[in-house]
Amino acid sequence: MRRCLAVLATGFTLVVSACGGPSTSAPGCTIGVSWNNYQEERWAKWDEPAIKAAISAGGGKYISNDAKSSPETQASNVDNLTSQGAKVVIILAQDGTAIKPAVAKAIQNGVPVIAYDRLIEDPKALYVTFDNVLVGQLEAQAVFKAKGTGNYAIIKGNKADANADFLRSGMDKIIGDAVKSGAIKIVGETYTDNWDPAKAQTNMEQILTANQNKVDAVLSENDGMAGGVIAALTAQGLAGKVPVSGQDGDKAALNRVALGTQTVDVWKDARLLGKTAGEAAMQLCNNSDPSKVKGTAAFKTPGGNSLNSILLTPNPITKDNLKDVLDAGWITKADLCQGVAAGKVSVCG
Amino acid sequence: MGASVPGEASAEGGPARSQSFVAAVRSALAPVTGALRSLEIDTRMLGMIGALIVIWVLFNIVSGGTFLTARNLWNLSVQSASIAIMATGMVLVIVSRNIDLSVGSMLGFLGYTMAMFQAVWIPQSLGLGFEQPFTWVLTLVIGIALGAAVGGLQGFIVAYGGVPSFIVTLGGLLVWRGLIFRYAQGQTIAPLDTTFQMLGGGTVGTRVGALGEWPSWTLGVVMCVAIVYVMISSRRRRRRYGFPVRAIWAELLVGAVACGAVLGIVLVANSYPLPVNVAIQYAEEHGIPVPPGGLFIPTGVAFPVVIMLIVTLVVTFLATRRRFGRYVYAIGGNPDAAALAGINVRRTIMLTFALMGSLAAVSAAVQTARLNAAVTNLGVQNELDVISAAVIGGTSFSGGIGTVPGAILGAVVMQSLRSGMVLLLVDSPTQDIVVGIVLVAAVGLDAVVRRRVS
Repeated sequence: MRRCLAVLATGFTLVVSACGGPSTSAPGCTIGVSWNNYQEERWAKWDEPAIKAAISAGGGKYISNDAKSSPETQASNVDNLTSQGAKVVIILAQDGTAIKPAVAKAIQNGVPVIAYDRLIEDPKALYVTFDNVLVGQLEAQAVFKAKGTGNYAIIKGNKADANADFLRSGMDKIIGDAVKSGAIKIVGETYTDNWDPAKAQTNMEQILTANQNKVDAVLSENDGMAGGVIAALTAQGLAGKVPVSGQDGDKAALNRVALGTQTVDVWKDARLLGKTAGEAAMQLCNNSDPSKVKGTAAFKTPGGNSLNSILLTPNPITKDNLKDVLDAGWITKADLCQGVAAGKVSVCG
Repeated sequence: MGASVPGEASAEGGPARSQSFVAAVRSALAPVTGALRSLEIDTRMLGMIGALIVIWVLFNIVSGGTFLTARNLWNLSVQSASIAIMATGMVLVIVSRNIDLSVGSMLGFLGYTMAMFQAVWIPQSLGLGFEQPFTWVLTLVIGIALGAAVGGLQGFIVAYGGVPSFIVTLGGLLVWRGLIFRYAQGQTIAPLDTTFQMLGGGTVGTRVGALGEWPSWTLGVVMCVAIVYVMISSRRRRRRYGFPVRAIWAELLVGAVACGAVLGIVLVANSYPLPVNVAIQYAEEHGIPVPPGGLFIPTGVAFPVVIMLIVTLVVTFLATRRRFGRYVYAIGGNPDAAALAGINVRRTIMLTFALMGSLAAVSAAVQTARLNAAVTNLGVQNELDVISAAVIGGTSFSGGIGTVPGAILGAVVMQSLRSGMVLLLVDSPTQDIVVGIVLVAAVGLDAVVRRRVS
C-alpha cells in the first residue's frame, strides 16, 4: 500500500492502474527503461529503437518513462517501472549518485538493474557502456599521430561530469610520456561549462592569443566543442593545419572530418549500445546474476566499487574510414559531403 | 559653509567634528564636483570607466602585456558584442519596471530558426540551393521579424494580460528552449551560409567579417560627425526652450572624449593585422607581393562591433529623442502619473518587449554566425549576463533610471573579466565566483555612494 501511495504521489496517471492489485502478468518478460532526458535527439532516434528491437526479438515487452533531467523524478520513475511489473530495469542516469537508493531498492526486490551509458556506483548493477577511457585514448591517438610534439591545448567538458575526467585520463595514456619528456607542452587546459561550444570557442581564442597562435594540436573532448575550437582556428587561418579531436558522430563533425578541419571523430554507434543492453536485459530475465551475462568483465569504478560491465569498443572515424558511417546509415552522403571539393575524399566522389 | 574653518572644528565634540570634516572635504572638492556638474556626466559612468581601466591594467600586468594587445582587444570587442546588443534593449525593459528572463532561450530559438532557414529550408525544402546571395538578408529579416513577434507576444501578455513580466518571461524561458528540442530534436545545424558567417566576425577563406582599414576610418569619422551634430542640435534646442546649457569648454571636452573613444576603437581594430596564414592566402589571391618582413593588412572593426555601434545609436536615439523613449522613462518613474498624463502605458510596455525580441534575434545572428553552427544550448544563461550588464551599467530595478551607453560599458566590464581570466587560465568555477562578487560589489558600492550623496 505504501508504494501505491508513493506512486500516486508522483502524479503519473499512467501508473495508477497498476496500483489496484498485483501487476498484470505480461506475456514474456517486461523490461523497463528510465530515460533521464528523452528530449535529446539521440535517445529517441537511435537508442530506443535498438533496445526495443532487441527486447521484442527475445519475446519481451518494453515500457519506459522520462525523468526530464530531474534526479528526483527519476528515482520515483524507477519505482514506477517496477510496480508496473518490470522484471529488469535499464537506467540512463541523470545523476549516478542520487539514483543509488532507488537502484538498491529495485535490486533488493529482485529486479536487476542495468546502468546504461552512464555509471551508477552500485556493485550489483550491470554497467553497459562504451569505454570512455578508450574514447579519450582514441581521440589522443589520432591527434598524436598527426602531431607528436609541440604545444597542445586540451578542451575538457563539464567539470561535474565524470566522463570529462575519464576522457582526460584516456588521453593521458597516449600523451603522458611525451608530456613528461617535454616533447609535448600543454599550453592551455580548461573545463567547459555545460560542454558549451560558444564557451569553447572563446576559451580557444584566448589560448591562441596567450600563445601567439603557437598551438600545434587541440584535444577537444566532444564534437560540439570541437566546432567552437575550429571556428576559433578558422579565424586565425589555422583550420586544417592544427589537428583537432572530437567524439559523438555529430553530422556537422563528420562533415568537418570530410572537409579536413577535424582530424578524428570517435563514433559510438548508439544502436550497438541499445542492442547490447536489450539483449543483456533479456538474459537477466532468466538469471538475475549480472556476472552470468555474456561478455561481462569486472570494472573498477572511481568510487572504489567493482561491478560487472560490458564495455563496447568505439570506432575512431578519420578521413580514411568515413565509409563506415555511410554504410551504417548513420549519415546521408549529402550531409557528409556538403562543401567537400570533388576528388578530395573518396566516399564523396 | 562657514564650518570649513579647521580651527573651529577642532575645538568641538566628536560628532560635530566629523560633520565639519565632511563639510571640509566637500568644500575642498567643490570645484571638482562643480566641474562634473557642468559636464553633466553621471559620476556612476565615470566610476565604471575608472573600474574598467583598473581591470584592464591589472590584467595587462598579470598577463605579461598580452591583455592590452590589439588582438586581445579586438577579440574582446567581438566577444562582448552579442551581450551588449541585448543589454541595450534590457535597459528599456528594466527602466519600465519589468524584466525579461527569456532572452537566452529566445536567442536560442531564433538562432536555431535562422539556422534552419539558411541551412535546410531555403536550400533543401524550397530547393533553391546553398550559398544564394539573398540568403543572409532574408534569414536576418525573417529572424528579426520573428523576434519582434515573439517578444511582442510576451509583452502583450504582460501589458494587456496583467501577468507579471517575471512570470511571463520565466514561462518563455522554458517554452522557447523546449521548442528547440521539439522541432530540431537536439541536432546541431551546421555549416551556415558563408555570407551570413561574416556577421559573426569570423573568417571564411580570405573573407573576413570586418570592415578593413579605410571603411573603418570612414565609419569612425561618420560617427564623430554624428556625435558633434547631435551635441550642437541639442544645445540649440535647450537654448530655444530656455534650459541651461553646458559651458563651452565642457561641451568641447565631452565631444572630444566621445570622438576619441570611437576613433580609438578604430585605431585598435586597424592595428590588428590579418592573421599570417590568412594574409598570405589573401596576398596570393590578389597578386600582392609579400615583403620580407611579412604582410600587414589591417583587419578593421569587426561586423559584430559595427552592428553593436549601430544598435547603440538607434536605441539611444529611441530612448532619448523619441516620444517612445520619454514614455518608457516616465512609466518607470511613476506608472500611475504616466497613465494619468495620457501615456498609453500598455502599448509602450508591449513595444519594449518587442524591441527586446528583435534585439535577441540580432544577437542570435551574431552568435550563430560566429560559431558557424546552431547548437541546442545556444544562449543558455545569457539572460543573466544581459541583466548583469544592464545593472552594472547603472540601470536601476526600481525603474526610471538607466542608460544605453552604460549597459554597453557594463557588458564590456563583464566580458573583460571573463576573457582576462581565461587568458590567465583561471578555471570556470573561479571565474563564476569572481563575476558574482563583482556584480554584487558594483551595485552595492553604487547604492552606498548614492545614499551618501543624497
